[in-house]
This record gives sequence, C-alpha cells and structure tokens, in this order.
Amino acid sequence: MVFFAAVVAHFAVAVLALIGLRRRPVIAACAGLVVLAGTALVVATQAIGATSAPRKTIEWLPLLGFNFTFQVDGFAVVMALLVSLLGFGVLAFSIAYFEHDATFTRFVGLFMAFAGSMTGLVLAEDLFTMFIFWELTSVWSFLLIGLHDKSEVARRSAVRALLTTGAGGLCMLVGIGLLQNQFDTTSFAQLRDLAPTGTMASVAASLLLLGAFTKSAQFPFHFWLPGAMAAPTPVSAYLHSATMVKAGIVLLARTAPIFGDTGVWRWWVVLAGVITMLIGGWRALRETDAKLVLAHSTVSQLGLLTVLFGIGSPYATYAGVAHLVAHAIFKAGLFLGVGVIDHELGTRDVSKIGAARRAVPVSVVAIGACLLSMAGIIPLFGFATKEKALVALLDAEFGLVGSIALWGIVAGSVLSVAYSVRLLHALVRTPNDSASHDQHHAHHEASVLMRSTLAAPVVVAAVVSLGFGFAASTVGSWLVSPSSALDVKAVSKLALWPGINDALLISFVVIAIGAVIGWKAPLESKLAQQPRGERVFDVVYDSTIAGAKRITAVIQPGSLPIYVGITLLLVSIAPISAAFVDGFGSLSGLTSGTALEASVSIIAIVMAIGVAVLQSRFTGAMFLGGVGYAIAALFALRGAPDLAVTQLLVETLTIVVFLLALRAMTRITTRPVSRFPQITRMFIAATVGIAIPLLALAARDARTAPSASQDYFARSVDEAGGRNVVNVILVDFRGFDTMGEIVVLAIAALGVANLVRAAEQHRRAAISVKEVAGS
Amino acid sequence: MSIWAFALIAVLFAVGSYLLMERSLTRVALGVGVIGNGVNVLIIASGSDAGEAPIIGREGVLADPLPQALVLTAIVIGFALLTFLMTLAWRNWTITGNDEVEDDVEDRMITRRAEQTEKLGDVPHPEDVQT
Amino acid sequence: MIKSKILEELIDRWLTKVGTLVAIFITFRGHNAPGGGFAGGLILGAVFVLQYLAGQQPTIRRKPILNPERLLGFGLLLALVTTAAPLFVGGAPLESYIWSITLPQIGKVKIVSSTFFDFGVFFVVVAVVLLVLTFLGTRGGAISHEPTDGVG
Repeated sequence: MVFFAAVVAHFAVAVLALIGLRRRPVIAACAGLVVLAGTALVVATQAIGATSAPRKTIEWLPLLGFNFTFQVDGFAVVMALLVSLLGFGVLAFSIAYFEHDATFTRFVGLFMAFAGSMTGLVLAEDLFTMFIFWELTSVWSFLLIGLHDKSEVARRSAVRALLTTGAGGLCMLVGIGLLQNQFDTTSFAQLRDLAPTGTMASVAASLLLLGAFTKSAQFPFHFWLPGAMAAPTPVSAYLHSATMVKAGIVLLARTAPIFGDTGVWRWWVVLAGVITMLIGGWRALRETDAKLVLAHSTVSQLGLLTVLFGIGSPYATYAGVAHLVAHAIFKAGLFLGVGVIDHELGTRDVSKIGAARRAVPVSVVAIGACLLSMAGIIPLFGFATKEKALVALLDAEFGLVGSIALWGIVAGSVLSVAYSVRLLHALVRTPNDSASHDQHHAHHEASVLMRSTLAAPVVVAAVVSLGFGFAASTVGSWLVSPSSALDVKAVSKLALWPGINDALLISFVVIAIGAVIGWKAPLESKLAQQPRGERVFDVVYDSTIAGAKRITAVIQPGSLPIYVGITLLLVSIAPISAAFVDGFGSLSGLTSGTALEASVSIIAIVMAIGVAVLQSRFTGAMFLGGVGYAIAALFALRGAPDLAVTQLLVETLTIVVFLLALRAMTRITTRPVSRFPQITRMFIAATVGIAIPLLALAARDARTAPSASQDYFARSVDEAGGRNVVNVILVDFRGFDTMGEIVVLAIAALGVANLVRAAEQHRRAAISVKEVAGS
Repeated sequence: MSIWAFALIAVLFAVGSYLLMERSLTRVALGVGVIGNGVNVLIIASGSDAGEAPIIGREGVLADPLPQALVLTAIVIGFALLTFLMTLAWRNWTITGNDEVEDDVEDRMITRRAEQTEKLGDVPHPEDVQT
Repeated sequence: MIKSKILEELIDRWLTKVGTLVAIFITFRGHNAPGGGFAGGLILGAVFVLQYLAGQQPTIRRKPILNPERLLGFGLLLALVTTAAPLFVGGAPLESYIWSITLPQIGKVKIVSSTFFDFGVFFVVVAVVLLVLTFLGTRGGAISHEPTDGVG
C-alpha cells in the first residue's frame, strides 16, 4: 500500500540523515522535503478520488490480536495532509534557521522520524497501531526537546515531557489491553459497533483519556508543554503546536463515538478541557516571552478542541475538525514568525519585539494576520471555525455539561482574543530600547535567500488563513468528509458571514471585551514563579531520585554479607506472606515419618548446627561431610540409590578438597564479622529457615498434573533400552541438560586450575621482587 | 512430606544462609555446601513420595525418577562449585594472608556521593561544566 | 601423607586395579541398575584420591596421568559426538540406538548408544577430580608449604 510505503520513506530519510549524510544535512533535508511533498500529494489524490476508505493490515502477532492496521478515511486524510504539509513548511524554514548550527543533522533525522511516526499515528485504524506510533512520537519529542543537550534546562524539560507523556502512554496501553481482553478487538470501527458498556469499558475509557490528556497537555498535565519550548523554534512549531499535541485530540476524536455515553466520560473531558482553556489563556496573558505566550495559547486552544470533541455532537465534531485545521495553520505560522523575530533580533521579549516592524516588516504583517485568525476576527479562517464552535454548543442539548462547555468556551475566547491582541499590541508598539536591535543586527547578516526562506512559511500560513477565511464555504465542504468519517451525521458547512444570530452577537461581545483586556494588559509583567504544575512535577521527580539514592545508600553499603542478607530476606518474603494469606493448613498434611528417617534427620540437623556454631574451619568441613553422609542415608531410605551412592562419593571428595585448601590457612578459626550484627544475621537465617520449607510444602500441594515421569517409565525400555529410569533420563530423555552440566563441571575444574596457576605466578613475581631487593 | 524432612530443610536453609552472611570465604563455602544439601532434600521431599528405586521390574510403588535425576546433577555441580569456591579462598589466602571478602569500595563511593548530593544539591556532570 | 610401604603396595596392587574395574562396571550397569557415569567417575576419582593421599601420582597401569585437561576434553568430545551422531544418520540429537550382539562365553549383550554418552560423563568427572588433585593438591601444596614470611 502506497501509504505504508510513504511512512517507511520517512524513516528511510531519517536513517539517511543520521548515518549516511552526517556531513551534508541540507541534502538530507531536501530528501525529506521530497518525501513530505510526495506524501502530501499521495494523500491529496487519494482524498479526491476516494469513494471508500482503503485499508491495510500487516500481521504482527495475530495470535494475540496485535496487528498493524491502517485506514485512510477522511479524517486520516486531513490529518496526514496537515502533518506532511506543515512538515514541509517547517523543514524548509529550518534549513535557514539552523544555518551554522551543528545540530542540524540530528534535527533532520529526528524530524523525519517524527513525521513518519505521526503519519502512521493518524492513519492508524486500531488502538494498538496508534499506540506504537504514539510512543514513537513521545521518544522523538524527547530527543528533539533536548536537541541542545548541553543545556540543563533543555534536558530537564525533555525529561519532564517524556515522563509525563510516557506515563500517559502506559496508562493507555493498559486501557488497550483491557479492551482487547474484554472485547477481542482494538479496532475503532469494531469497538464503535460493539458500543462497549460496563465497568471494564469505563475503566478502559478513563485510561485512554489519561493518555490523551498527557499527550495534549490537558489539565492537570498541562505543565510540560510550555517547558517543551526549550526546543528550537521549528520543533516547537511542528511538534508542540501543530502535530504531536494533536495526537491526544485525534485519540479523543476517534474514541468519542465509542465512549461518548459511557459513564462520566463526557463530564471528565469537558471539565478538563474548560479548565485547561482558562488556565492556558490566563497564563498566556501574563508571559513575557512571546514563545511562551504561544505555548500557553496552544494549551488553551487544545482545551477548546478537547471540549468540542468531548461534547461529541455532530455539529461539535464538525466544528472540532474545522478548528483543528485552522489552529494548526495559524499556530505553525505564529511559532515560525516568532522564530523569525528571534533569529533577527535575538530576543523574544514581548516588550522588545516591536523593533521587528522595521527589521522584518513582511513577517510581522503575516504574524499579525495569524494573530487575528487566532483571535477569531472576520474575515480570517479562525473566525469561521470559532463561530461554528459557538453555534454547535448553543445547539447542543447536553444539559449542565453543555452549558459549562458553552460558557467555558465563551470565557476562553475572551482570553484568546485578549492574548492575541496583547501580542499585536507588542508588535505595533515602538519598543523602549531599539539600540539593542541594531547592535545585534550588525553582526547578523543573513543572505537574502536565507531570510526569504525564513519568512516564506510564515507568509504562506497567513495567506492560507486569510484565503481559507474568504473561501470558508468551499473549505467547509472539504471538511465534510473528514468529520463524517468520525460521525456520519457530522455534516455541516462553514461560512464567512453566517448572518446575524446568537453566536455572532456573543462573538462581538467576546471580541470587544477581549480586545480591551488585551490592549490594556501589561507587557512587562514578570512571572517570578515557576508554573505550579512544573513545580509539583519537579518535587515528585526530585524526591523520587533522592529517595532512590537514600535507599541505595542503605541497602548497598559495600558489604557483601549485607547484600546477601538483604537478598535472602527478600527471597523469603514471598513464601511467608503467601503462607499468611493462605493460612498454615498445609502443615497438617505433614506425616510423622519412620523412626529410621527421624534418627537420620536428627543426625543431619545436629551436624548442620555444628557447622554454624563451631568456628574452626577444619571441624566445620568435617561436620559438613557428616551432614552429607546423613543425607545420603536419607536418600537411600527414600528409594534413591543412585543419589545415595553419588552423595556418598561427593561428600568424601568434598572433605578432601576442603583439606587440600585448608592446608594453607594457618589461622585455624575464622573471625566473626563485625559490621553485621550477629542478632540480625540470626533473624534473617531464621526467616529463611521458615520460608523455604513452607515453599516446599506449597510446591508439593500445588501439583495438578501427573508427573512427567509416567511417560518416561513407559518409554524407557523400548526407546532407550534401559531399566534404570534415573539414568535413562540423564543420558537420554534429558541428555541435553546433562551435556550442559558436564560443561559446567569442566569450566569449574579449569577455573580451579587457572586460579592455582595465577597464585603460582603471583608467588614467582613476589619472590623475584624479594631477590632483587635482597641483592 | 514428613515432619522430619520439613525440619531438616528448615535447619539446613537457616544454617546455610547464616553462613552465607559471613565474611570468611571458607565459611561462605560451608554455607553453600549446607544450603546445597538443603535444596537437594527439598526437591526430593517435595517432588515425590518415598518408594522403591525407580528401576523397571522392581516390585511395589516406584519413586518418581525425575526429581532424582535433577538432584543427581545438582550434587555433582554442587561439588564443582564448592571446589571452585575453596580454591578461591585458598588463592586469597596465599596472596593476602586471609580469606575474607573486602568491602566494595565503588559501592561506598556511590553512597558517599548520594550523601553529598543531598547536602550540596546536584553535582553537575563534568561535561556540562566545560561548556 | 601416608608413609607406609605395605599400604603403598596394597593401593598399588589391589585398590587401583579393583577400583578401576568397579568404576567401569558401575558405569556400564548404570543403565539398568543404580550407577552410571557420575557414580563410576566418582569411584575412579576416589581411587586417585587414595593414591594421592598415599603420596603417589595418579596412575593407571603404572603410567602416571600427566595431562588431565586432555582427558577432560576427551570426555566432553565423546559426549558431544554421541549427542550429535544421530543427526548424521537422520535421527534426532541424542536418539538412542540399541544393538544386540552375541559374545562367545558371555551370551547375548545389549549395547545402547547412550552408554557412550555416559562414558563421556565418566571421563569428565574423572578429569575434574584429577585436575583438583594436580592443581589444588600437588601444585597448590607446593605454594602452601613455602615459607610465607615477607610475601603477601
């Protein structure tokens, strides 16, 4: 399938950039441009000629129901177009932006990998496929935020973004697993037909929501997105405004028809969206860094989209798709525009960017147009889509939650008008100190080509915002297919001038109030504090790391006996706790045993205690041998003559080995350890001594199937020609194990030989040193 | 399983783990030996009932041969392991004059670094200081 | 070390020969009665230990075994060949083949191919004991009995 090939082509360019063309990143970037344009072309032609949505499944783990499934329906087409067209613009911009920047190679590679993952994500037809690409985008995003890896801020922000989205992704995976387990499918279409209900469905839906909220920076996970602005401008423009953060919205859009009426899904989504919209808008009004203003405005706009898809009525879905497109266009333009100003002036401070009017007039005009689109001013595209959103919410009948959504959006719109106007104000105002700009400009002579390359995508975004505004009805008809792919009833239209209605009146009031607030809003206001969400995250993160270090300091003090003690204690926790849960009933199954068995066992027990109590090495070895002989007798009693013979011989040889080694050890007794208190060691030993027999008992009672030996008994004489089944198992049925075992024996013996050789060498070296010293 | 096997396993594991937590390698080797015996008894006692030797043609109920085969190899491997350990202890003695396990200096350094970080804040990586 | 002429003689004349025979017998009969490569190997190993304790080199038929590492390799190779051999005649690894042959005086004898595997195990076990005796015993002892003053 051609779409799949397109996704693969993205990754191919990524590999090429990261490995093959490290020294010629511009060539790699051009290859990337070709791939992006080609993808856009393929998708566009598909959309024009399509009568049905083509589907493709690539089997991965069919037994578990995990396959890669892609489907190119209307919504996928519009998203894929956004991804590749915006990608084209941003990549073109970055060629100029990264001039003289050594990180460009890495940027191109990661950028193309990201674009490929994002295309895969929007084309995914089931949750599992989506999840794979979803996690990939998280990883690329992490690497791109931390592109300047020498910067502490960049690294911290990258970690914050990764951990937040990664945690959400894991929740999502659990949700997907629940759905797969319960309904045997993760396909969007099949789930929609099944219309899952019940507790399991609500839990799964909530987990998926956590994924969507973290990815799209919805309250309370809104903090990571502004932090991600540590990334270079093209990254912010592409990932953190236009595409990746939309992944959560895509998930919402895809799952709203499935879970819209499940439990408190709608309440949760709408409330999170409204809160996010208001927090983002409020912070955008107060930031002084233009890029951070845009970041918070993105958070706020994502809240609006969340509300629209959360309401999920046909009109709202249509409005959501329309506004998603509008936002992607104007926000990409705005980010790149701020990038142009930053590149030119060396500052993004809203009190200083007024100087850009003289430096880059064309870009400033384009930025202005994008700002007006964001504010929702006629005749730009943002006006048409926001009108549609208001109409949809006025129209929807969802009781209280509908009203919250409506008035939330009204309040949010006031704020979005306000922060847009505030930025406009910053741009038209003459800054206090224009000197710094000239100074900066003096040693920053970019070529005309480069400067127009920088400005072009901004201008294109502005022109498209304006053109789509005037052609609102045409564009609106294009959007019917995408939104009806989500909801068959979501058929509506856009208009440049909808006529006087309630929504329009609300809009006028909103624009008037917002404009006044925005114009009056101070440009210099300082935000001394780090955002609260970020602080909470940092506290949790730092205390986790500090806690880990403290635990490491306690359990890894460098003493081997203590390590062993901790390990033994942990090993015995599981059987003991299991015994407490299940009760000690299995103890009653113990038999009294024969007198012979009792006496042999008592001998072994006494000998074993002797090994522990006596400090002399030699006596210890003798007592160990005694334990072994007693156990050999026990084996003989239990019908294991092979074991008895082997054990007898091995114990004899063990004593000999101990004697050989102990010849050298001139101090007969060992010193007790000092740092590890005796009483603690005894406690741990007792715990192990209680835990392991309980485990043995449980293992014995847990048997459900007959022993594998029955088969061995049946086959032993005919197939292996032996009557001693133990031996037949060793040399025939389980001969491979024995083969491995004699290899272990050989290695141990060679180890012994080489240890002795090493000691000989050491001794020779010591003697020759002594001779030299003596002579 | 008889009460005697149960008690024997308990004592062997307790004694074995007590010895494992010592510093002297000889004592550790003794511990490995004792615990190895404990494991063997455990497998035999929990894996099968007592019976006649599992040789086809014998009268009566035959014991399960599979645990026996497992334990047979375990006995011999245990011997090889003990031999290696004792050679290690022996070599330690010929070189340093004792058979005790020293503290791991690297691990102590990690602990100290963690304490330092808590007092002074995060110590930047040397690479960051350069740039 | 044991320094007794009679004992030396005893070990040399009787124990070594009888022990070797017993070890081989135990290994052979392991397929049908208690015994096998591990037990047989350990018995022969015990014989060598006695020789060592009597102050002698491990010998078989008065020839000292100088290179136990070679014996170790031989045992491993024998076991490996037995494992892999059925592959060459189209069987599964470790598949057993049973031949019945009639020997004069003794009668019908059944030989199972896995007996060769058991002898591989036998040689490995013997070699392990020999390695321990030569290295930890003889060569290690030489170090242990040196005066240690000033060294280590």
